[in-house]
Amino acid sequence: MSTTPTVTPAAATDAPAGAAAAAPPRFAGARRFARSFRSRRAGLAGLGILLLFTVLALAAPAFIGPDQLDVTKVNGPLLAGPSASYPLGTDQAGRSVLMLLIWGARESLQIGVIATVLTVVFGSAVGIVAGHFGGFVGRALMHVTDWFIALPSLPLAISLAAVLGQGQASITIAIAATSWTATARLVRAQTLAVEARPFVERARALGAGNRQIMLRQVLPNVMPLILVSSTLTVAGALLSEATLTFLGLGSPTDVTWGEMIHDAFFGGAFTANAWWYLLPPGLAILAVVLGFTLTGRAVEHVLDPRMENKR
Amino acid sequence: MVVRESSRSRRFRLALATACAAGLMAGPASLGVATAARADSSSASGTTLRVAMSDSGVDTLNPFTAYFNGALDIFAGIYPTLTSIDEQGKPGPYLATSWTLSPDHLTWTFKLRSGLKWSDGQPLTAADAAWTLNLIMTNTVAGTANGTLVSNFASVTAPDATTLVIRTKQPQANVTYVSIPFSGIPIVPQHIWQSHVADLKNDKNDSFPVVGYGPWVLTGYQTDQYAKFDANKSFVLGAPKYDHLIEQVYKESDAAVAALKAGQLDYINGVNATQFSALQHSSGITTAQAAGDGWTGVEVNPGARTRSGKPIGTGNPALADPVLRRAIAEAIDKKTLLAKVIDGQGQVATGYLPPAWSQWKWTPSAGEEQPFDPAAANQMLDAAGYKKGADGVRVDPKTGKPLDLRLGIHSDSANDAAISTYLVGWLQAIGVKLTIQPMSMTALNSDLGKGDFDLLMDSWTTGPDPTYLLGIQSCATLPNDDGTGGNTDAFFCDPTYDKLFNQQATVFDPAQRAQVVGQMQDILYKADVDQLFYYATTKVAASSKVTGLITGQETNGFYPAQTSFWSYLKAAPVAQSASASSGGSGGLWAGVAGAVVVVGAGAVVVRRRRGADDRE
Repeated sequence: MSTTPTVTPAAATDAPAGAAAAAPPRFAGARRFARSFRSRRAGLAGLGILLLFTVLALAAPAFIGPDQLDVTKVNGPLLAGPSASYPLGTDQAGRSVLMLLIWGARESLQIGVIATVLTVVFGSAVGIVAGHFGGFVGRALMHVTDWFIALPSLPLAISLAAVLGQGQASITIAIAATSWTATARLVRAQTLAVEARPFVERARALGAGNRQIMLRQVLPNVMPLILVSSTLTVAGALLSEATLTFLGLGSPTDVTWGEMIHDAFFGGAFTANAWWYLLPPGLAILAVVLGFTLTGRAVEHVLDPRMENKR
Repeated sequence: MVVRESSRSRRFRLALATACAAGLMAGPASLGVATAARADSSSASGTTLRVAMSDSGVDTLNPFTAYFNGALDIFAGIYPTLTSIDEQGKPGPYLATSWTLSPDHLTWTFKLRSGLKWSDGQPLTAADAAWTLNLIMTNTVAGTANGTLVSNFASVTAPDATTLVIRTKQPQANVTYVSIPFSGIPIVPQHIWQSHVADLKNDKNDSFPVVGYGPWVLTGYQTDQYAKFDANKSFVLGAPKYDHLIEQVYKESDAAVAALKAGQLDYINGVNATQFSALQHSSGITTAQAAGDGWTGVEVNPGARTRSGKPIGTGNPALADPVLRRAIAEAIDKKTLLAKVIDGQGQVATGYLPPAWSQWKWTPSAGEEQPFDPAAANQMLDAAGYKKGADGVRVDPKTGKPLDLRLGIHSDSANDAAISTYLVGWLQAIGVKLTIQPMSMTALNSDLGKGDFDLLMDSWTTGPDPTYLLGIQSCATLPNDDGTGGNTDAFFCDPTYDKLFNQQATVFDPAQRAQVVGQMQDILYKADVDQLFYYATTKVAASSKVTGLITGQETNGFYPAQTSFWSYLKAAPVAQSASASSGGSGGLWAGVAGAVVVVGAGAVVVRRRRGADDRE
């Protein structure tokens, strides 16, 4: 959940291209990054949205007890519109939609972030190894990647979730298994570019082994790209989570935004004109996805010299 | 990326359904090439009744092999049966006008009407009925759907054109229910079908108009789209008031409701609780609740066994203890489930047979009701030695393992999902941990057959004759040792019950039979293997521009069971004066906004990612 705050400083340390030797003080890079980022209003807005939702999600247990989400203990009116005591109305079981929305932020973000971490770690590993070794290993890995790209992702995710049993864990794995390919291809391409540069050749001449080159030379240089791609992957993962739970692959006791839309839609909220039940989770998904996209785009602009217009 | 795809296809489907409905409205010309010739001559004029097809759809139009409700509904309209079911749920005249039973209770003689003609002009006689029943008795393929209904028949003969004689092997009380509309055997024309017997399995029965006899003639059918009918104005039980009938397929019930509100549809049998509550306040729409013809509950694995008594499956052995099953039953608040899951549209369930067929009504005798009483349930478990562990979960004294039970639910059922969240909370209060396992219908039934379950959500509906529903609780339906041949509902097996089951089949006085059936329901109630929650009403919504669709008299807020056979037959247009006003569109806008939001966000992500992909 707290990806965003950690993303920025981490990105900053590796920001200056080719700074493997780390001659300038590390914080100088961070400061320069922060300065450039600050000049991007859209990025700041995105970051603000993400911070808001992160804080809400982290603080939720402080003001939402299990009794307010347990259908056997709540006593609100059923599917009632917004009122003073229920600002966003109630669901079919009489729970406050606002509480569900806030609690849903926890689980949705959790799934999104964990799936992204899995995606990025696996995708980057495959990409760097394939780019570094080339030859048979690289071709084999890229063929596997192409094969996964050719598979239609929605049916694959649905069958995976069905095989692994329903619930958060299987949805997380299903998302990761279907979205690592983009990262892998991206990272491989960047790896090829980085390995062609003289400093890698120098390191090789000085006797660096494969592992040394991949971890100390290549990884820091593809890191900015990985970070940018991961912020966008989170957005995709959140949408996939919403899709899969909407299609009924979640567990009914979990509270996620996708699950809320699923319950609302299949419970007939549409016909009952219960907009207060359908709309908030949809808008929340929009806001968070937008937040990640804006942030990711701003970071991309700051880090990529070709996209940076005033440097 | 994924979301974009799904929301688009969903919207597309909705649009498609609406477009289809609009197409039907526009006129028969757009209905398709295959039926155009006939449509031109017959459907171009006259009134049309438009109804939503049962959401199970049609598996095949072959009346010998079809199971799905959508298909059975069609057969009820286009093929005759020996008897019909009146509003009290009892057999009434159709092809047969009267029937007698021999003193030895083995020979039934049906008197059939004379002078009836199939839709192609050939005479409809007792020979057709005898041929149909004999085919089902002797041909395995023909017996696919309805073979069990005639398994006790020794012979069926037609001594003359208006007499049908059925001899049974054992006395059988329900012979008058064997050939009824919808849930019984449809009689087919011998002169058409005898040439189809060789390849019956693959027969699609799709040469239109389908030769039959009934209130309607099937003139066209498009898979997953519609079935259309012309009225049989010389129908013997009264001519339909409409000239044409169209059964329209809707994949989403909300789309059907929207079509009803917009005046593109006249009748939906089976809207959900929330839709019903909303439609009650819509002008131009009449709603009704028919007494439920089924129950929803949970089945508890009492220790799955084969017919020879060999234990099978992975069921938790603790559930073999009746005390634990009773404690679970008393920990569940059925009234709350009824009120919150289906908006109170039904009745709390006690007896195994649903209230739609009031002749089988049974209620527990005074002092034997199982109340909602978690405190008593806790005491019961304390006394039986189920001690609470540190985490609040009780431990089975026999195995020393915590009571961590699985609850299988249908992953496509919103009600199952809602109910399961309540069960988890209530069972937690008595120290039983439930883990929800949403499964597809196939996976769930497969686990059930193998005994690989602890608790499973279950629901059954039944026609007026309870034989089948009672039968799935008898020992004879347990599987063989190799796991095959089973048809049991929840591995219940009780010798006393089986004795009563055989007895009820041979009791011919309806009141006496009901009493035996009552004793059987008593045994089931006390066993707590099938724990029933509620009987949901069948909720019907109809356009106010049509009368007669809702049949019977309302008592205590419930109409009798609604059968499409009578509803479509009695439907009549109201004099054209008022036009249906469309209901509030707030929900529609909310949905559209939500879809736009998701699609838009998806598009942004995809665009960005594509940009990143292209970069190096």
